[in-house]
Amino acid sequence: MPVIQTLYDAILNGNAKAAKEITQTSLASGVNPQALVDDTMIPAMNEVGRRYEANEYFVPELLIAARAMKASLELIRPLLSARGSEPVGRVVIGTVQGDLHDIGKNLVGAMLEGAGFEVIDLGVDVSPEKFINAAKEKHATLVALSALLTTTMHSMKGVVEKLNESGMRPGVKVMIGGAPVTQKYADEIGADGYSSNANAAVALARRLVAA
Amino acid sequence: MRLTLISCEVFTRELCETAARSPHQVDLVFLPKGLHDIGCSGMRERLQAAVDRVDESLCDMILLGYGLCNNGIAGLAARGLPLVVPRAHDCMTLFFGSRERYEEYFRKNPGTYFLTTGWIERGEATGDLRQLSIQHANGMDMTYGELVEKYGEDNAQYLYDQLCDQTKHYKKLTFIAMGLEPDGSFLATARKRAGEKGLEFTTEQGDIRLLRALVNGPWDEREFLTVPPGFRIAPDYTNDLIRAEKADT
Repeated sequence: MPVIQTLYDAILNGNAKAAKEITQTSLASGVNPQALVDDTMIPAMNEVGRRYEANEYFVPELLIAARAMKASLELIRPLLSARGSEPVGRVVIGTVQGDLHDIGKNLVGAMLEGAGFEVIDLGVDVSPEKFINAAKEKHATLVALSALLTTTMHSMKGVVEKLNESGMRPGVKVMIGGAPVTQKYADEIGADGYSSNANAAVALARRLVAA
Repeated sequence: MRLTLISCEVFTRELCETAARSPHQVDLVFLPKGLHDIGCSGMRERLQAAVDRVDESLCDMILLGYGLCNNGIAGLAARGLPLVVPRAHDCMTLFFGSRERYEEYFRKNPGTYFLTTGWIERGEATGDLRQLSIQHANGMDMTYGELVEKYGEDNAQYLYDQLCDQTKHYKKLTFIAMGLEPDGSFLATARKRAGEKGLEFTTEQGDIRLLRALVNGPWDEREFLTVPPGFRIAPDYTNDLIRAEKADT
């Protein structure tokens, strides 16, 4: 179907306007929304990820592709929910307390949305309590923490500890990232995963919610 | 003692003054501030090269004018001479004179952008470091016009908001006066930049104590890590911030 192929291209090229229009037309003509997601949109985002890994795409291309994906998903998601279809997972994401850097966090959030996760973005300077409360309220299965500074990254440990105390673990997994963060730090504080970039973060999130 | 101090250029004025008054013989090596923008492995490689260039027959100890700087010094190895490093997150600890004072200020004033003489004179990455920077690789240094040309009008605004407006969450700009500014020009520049970015402007008196202690010693363990030959710097997730580990592990 040429229309579907075009939606694939619209996402791949980061054309949000085209993605939205094509989605509207496709849905109006009776295309199955779930099939649109599974057969066209997710493969498009997978290709975006592949190009990023191959150094053909960079952060701006990831962002605009995820934005196009989101424009399309906003039309599709209500239809899927109405059919009782659940997102891949629910993620509470935020930059930890004291830290106001959000480029990495926004990028990971956009890529997770693009991969079919429901993303609850708490913004920047988020206290451990806020993370826990949001995870509880929204029935999240994943909490994603970002920090850009060694002065603030230790707040991640507080989030993991509070989650442990809340009894929500191991049902709620924690993934962490940001410039000073390492796998070693993730292991040390008992986080379930670490990712060094937004594309790998999607694969990690999928793995964690499947576990 | 004969010391070689390898330092980030943001401390140029403070360390030149301190070295001039030091009881030790201090060779100063300043490296570009832009090293901070090329990622931690690139930064470490260039710092290691500077450490390795020191003539061990003419020096007793190497001092580092760096904080942990987002792991930019992680993995840096002492070869034939001990390396002394302040236990600091970044340069702000050294401008504030202690970790405690910096951490307290940081906690009470989230969203503060700091300027000093060094940050005003030498804050921008230049030359090849600019091309190698993470900012450049991620499109964070593109102008709005360049974004429009490459990604179209609709995406340009989105990308600009996401990537390029790096001060959007800042509320305040604080000029840290170290007491060695030649006149009021740096203060005026800082005030002007705050105005341009729409930030509240304040000044804070810095404290050169820790930079002096770095140059003059005696390098007590609480504030400084001494890395013996054959060891390297590793981040430590306790209050120590950094530790020495065997270089071959």
